[in-house]
Amino acid sequence: MERQIRAVYDALDNGSNKTAIAACQKILKKQPKHELTKTLLALALVRSQKVEEALSHCDEVLAAKPTNDAVLTAMIHVLRGLGRQKDIVSMFEEASKQIPDSEELATQTFLANIRVQNFKAAQQIAGRMHKQFQEDRYIYWHVLSAILQASEPSTSSDMRVLLFKLAHRLITASPTPPYVNADRFHLHLVILRELGLFDEARTLLESEVGKSICAASLACNEVRRDIWRAHGLFEEEGQKAEARITQQNDRNWLEFLSVIDAALLQVESKPEPDEAEKADRSARLTKTRQLFTKLAEDDGLKDRSAALALVELEKRANFYDLSSDPHGLIDVMKHYFELFGDKACCFEDLKPYVSLLEGDDLPQWTAFLQSSIDVSIDNSNVLRKLINAQKLLRYNTPELTLPEESARATQYTQQYLESLIHGSGLPATELQPADDLAILAASSFISIWQLSNDEKHLYNAAALLEFALTKSKQAFQMRLLLVRIYRLLGAPSAALDHYRAMQIKQVQHDTLSHFLISRSSTFSLAASGDLTYHTECIESSQIYISNLQDTGEYIARAFTGEKYSQIPEFILFEDRLEYSLQRDLVKVEDLRIRLTHEPISSDLIDMELIELKFSLDRLHYDNRDFDILANYQPRISASTNDQTLLFGKPEGRGWLTTFLKIYTRAFQQASDLDDTVEEKLLIGDRPKQSSPDAKIPLKDRLHHHLEKDLVELTTDELSFLKYCSTLADWLEPYHDYARPPPAVVLAEAAKLTQAKTGQPLKGVDLPPKNGTAATNGSSKKDEEPPAVVAPPTDLAQFFDDMKARFEAVKAEPSPTMALHVASLTQEACLFFLVESLRFKNPSAVKTNKLGALTQQLKPIRTAALNALRDISASLIKLAETEGTAERRKIFVDGCSPIINSNIDHDFVLNVAKKVTDSRKKVLDGYGKGMARLITTSSK
Amino acid sequence: MSVLRPLHVDDLFRFNNINLDVWTETYDLGFYLQYLATWPDLCYVQAAPSGRLMGYVMGNAGREGTSSDWHGHVTALTIAPEYRRLGLARSLTTLLELVADAVYTGAFVDLFVRCQNQVAIDMYEGMGYSVWRRIREYYGSLGRGREGRDEEDAFDMRKPLSRDPSRHSVRSNGRDVIVDQA
Repeated sequence: MERQIRAVYDALDNGSNKTAIAACQKILKKQPKHELTKTLLALALVRSQKVEEALSHCDEVLAAKPTNDAVLTAMIHVLRGLGRQKDIVSMFEEASKQIPDSEELATQTFLANIRVQNFKAAQQIAGRMHKQFQEDRYIYWHVLSAILQASEPSTSSDMRVLLFKLAHRLITASPTPPYVNADRFHLHLVILRELGLFDEARTLLESEVGKSICAASLACNEVRRDIWRAHGLFEEEGQKAEARITQQNDRNWLEFLSVIDAALLQVESKPEPDEAEKADRSARLTKTRQLFTKLAEDDGLKDRSAALALVELEKRANFYDLSSDPHGLIDVMKHYFELFGDKACCFEDLKPYVSLLEGDDLPQWTAFLQSSIDVSIDNSNVLRKLINAQKLLRYNTPELTLPEESARATQYTQQYLESLIHGSGLPATELQPADDLAILAASSFISIWQLSNDEKHLYNAAALLEFALTKSKQAFQMRLLLVRIYRLLGAPSAALDHYRAMQIKQVQHDTLSHFLISRSSTFSLAASGDLTYHTECIESSQIYISNLQDTGEYIARAFTGEKYSQIPEFILFEDRLEYSLQRDLVKVEDLRIRLTHEPISSDLIDMELIELKFSLDRLHYDNRDFDILANYQPRISASTNDQTLLFGKPEGRGWLTTFLKIYTRAFQQASDLDDTVEEKLLIGDRPKQSSPDAKIPLKDRLHHHLEKDLVELTTDELSFLKYCSTLADWLEPYHDYARPPPAVVLAEAAKLTQAKTGQPLKGVDLPPKNGTAATNGSSKKDEEPPAVVAPPTDLAQFFDDMKARFEAVKAEPSPTMALHVASLTQEACLFFLVESLRFKNPSAVKTNKLGALTQQLKPIRTAALNALRDISASLIKLAETEGTAERRKIFVDGCSPIINSNIDHDFVLNVAKKVTDSRKKVLDGYGKGMARLITTSSK
Repeated sequence: MSVLRPLHVDDLFRFNNINLDVWTETYDLGFYLQYLATWPDLCYVQAAPSGRLMGYVMGNAGREGTSSDWHGHVTALTIAPEYRRLGLARSLTTLLELVADAVYTGAFVDLFVRCQNQVAIDMYEGMGYSVWRRIREYYGSLGRGREGRDEEDAFDMRKPLSRDPSRHSVRSNGRDVIVDQA
């Protein structure tokens, strides 16, 4: 027996689920009640996506209330695979009840509750565990569970205080002092900080152990600093910081800030000082200035903290009007630039202070920087200084005009090319010191494009960045910018190449995939069988599966390893990924893509509907990284990120909510699943409804779109929304009438399950067959069907309007807008198919006496297909004109600014080829895909 | 001038400017979670006053083979390209050494570096590390590049801590002691 079971485990480990299933069935033939085999069979079935079959075995095992270790462990995997975390909790609760002496089972029950964020139950279990097993660590589990409960948004402020007081009582009553390890100490400090128990905190922190823990633990020292500052001990904190800086050579910026805070402390508390106080303040300022000046001199070029602290000090002195020297700020800024101008980060260091310069200081600053630009670039230090000066100057540009911006673009380009020599000896894996000049030039070209609305400036940006990438292969900043530019130019395959070259993986998918996937249905050729974007969507979503598997595991490990400081952060991290905005943006985009490829069926509609509703009830975390895109635009201008967004529109919560509502409403109408049916058929746990709107009935939410959401939509997306609403409003009464009653739907589902697994569907009591509910998918109604009215003229009109829109934008050089209009028209047509699916079934139409409706649907369908036919033909025709020598010439001619600066003509021609070929491919593919869709939809 | 603070798990949402660099590997979630759930006090970041991440270090502590000596190990040390040459790596490592000494009572701290990466080797030597041994094909997965053997072999470099006053973790012929990867 043992050997047979071993074989099943081996098969499961190797991923041979089929073998595992066969082996289990063989064992079960002889021993039909063998619990572990049944569990492993369920596991193999779950892993082979045979959910219904797995369910019945899983439920049998659960019903037997297992206590065997191997069974429990395997069941964890089965239930996780089915998304039934709550059943894991009850399974361990049951097991623990049966063997109350088992510490292991109690631990598992505790951790299972933490896993589902049931902190209250976890707290009670930990309390019991401490009494029973007398381990100190359970006190801390108890304490942390109370704190986690206190931190939940649903906990009232009174309750929060009570829970922290409980935590405090527990921790002070603990037989071992908290300072045996830093994480226990940290937890204690967090409680004292929350409750404002300063004296107790001070005693702990000033003990020898306390001091030595803080010296070695940044986390504890962080809380200590908070506590000190919260109690107004700026002076004392300042002295401590000064000692750390001068005696221990600590150069943590936070210590410098503490010294500055202490120096300027009383300023805020007393806005109108008397003479004595004024003198005192001035003395403090002078003393601090002297300290930093001395430090800066000693540190020299070794460390820039003290020099920058001088800048920060002058900024605050100006702010509080303490400085006697009106040019104090600019002087220290110049000094800083002179010392650290050749460090790449100098621009970023000084940027926050530039906007504070005013009056005479401004021209002086400009002239000062100019002197670092009008130089011969002899070595890479001079080069880096020049780049910083260029960035700082550009940042402060008072106004953007075409001629000046063009002159700047030329200057950046020329300086870039001149400076390449300083990186010529570097290995291919290194970045070139001149890289940022190329990005500055590209930024300039982007601004000119925005000012002139002439796309050729984007050609220059693209070709120059492509050139720079041949010199600096790892310059991801250039690739990110190129991804944006190529999407604007309607060359999606060129964008995709650069995106892939960055090898984005793991958690980066959540923060960076927006560069590629945002509104990518515009470029997707899934209708013609190319599933590139669908694959990218799947790949970028893997991280959410890993999160669900891994993060919970490490939360448990942090408990057993007593790393309490990490646990609240891990829990939040898990939520941030699980409820990630990007995750659902990808999901919606993928659905839009798949609808053009997969046959529209009621199965697809039902499955997606459930997911869509979950998404609508979620409060999303936006983890997307937009700061990664280098921004060297003047502060009076929009950022590079905003300038290069596709269609000039951001895509965020508003866009997501709107599209979720559009899709949910259409799918809900088309589906037979109402809430009662869904409740019965849902397999996993229902996710948390964290959105504040989740309390509003879904039906009401679906009818309303908020202005703040709609600003994220393009004009064409707004037309699409209006079309979808009109269509849904018109068809709603007919759907509601024709939808079979829940009992019938459930009976049908039960029949299917029975046929598939040989087991009845659990939890569904079929009504006796007394003739009122037939199982052929239809039922007799008491009331008459709603009178069929003609469709609003807007519906057919929408397709004519979109055709006109398409005609208006198709001549634009970049096909992006034409593809946008084309893809929305196609999506509208697909929506029509979804909404009319129910009325394609002749028997349903007949039973519900809705024959008149099918007649009314026909003209809209014709209008939709006609529009698609025209647009499709037009796209294919446009494709023929792309990728030609003529188009390449337009591109190359547009690039005269960089060609005149000595970028090789043939190189530019290659970029031109890449762009125009990519345009040709997407236009042709989209047009043909549309044609294919017309054929399948006309059937 | 930078903020030295603990590495938090949500820094993974903001480390792109560091991790998009070709030499910095982005591992699966489990890797970061394991380090933070086990050695949170050996993982730190340097951040700019704006909050932008500049670099980070992740370390662990454990025993070496059969020896009873605890030691600290620098697993990942990386600085974003725009923040190099500022001494950030040194301050990150210094703190890690302090904690390996005071909290984990380690005898030494060690790290691995590509034999061909002379810039890094010089930097570590300046910080008190020296080559203990050479590990054959440690970076083998990248394949043998232009620099041949030096590109795929690693130096294991060590720095003695206060528990090793007689400097047992230093040997002058370390470069000639060649071992296979365990």
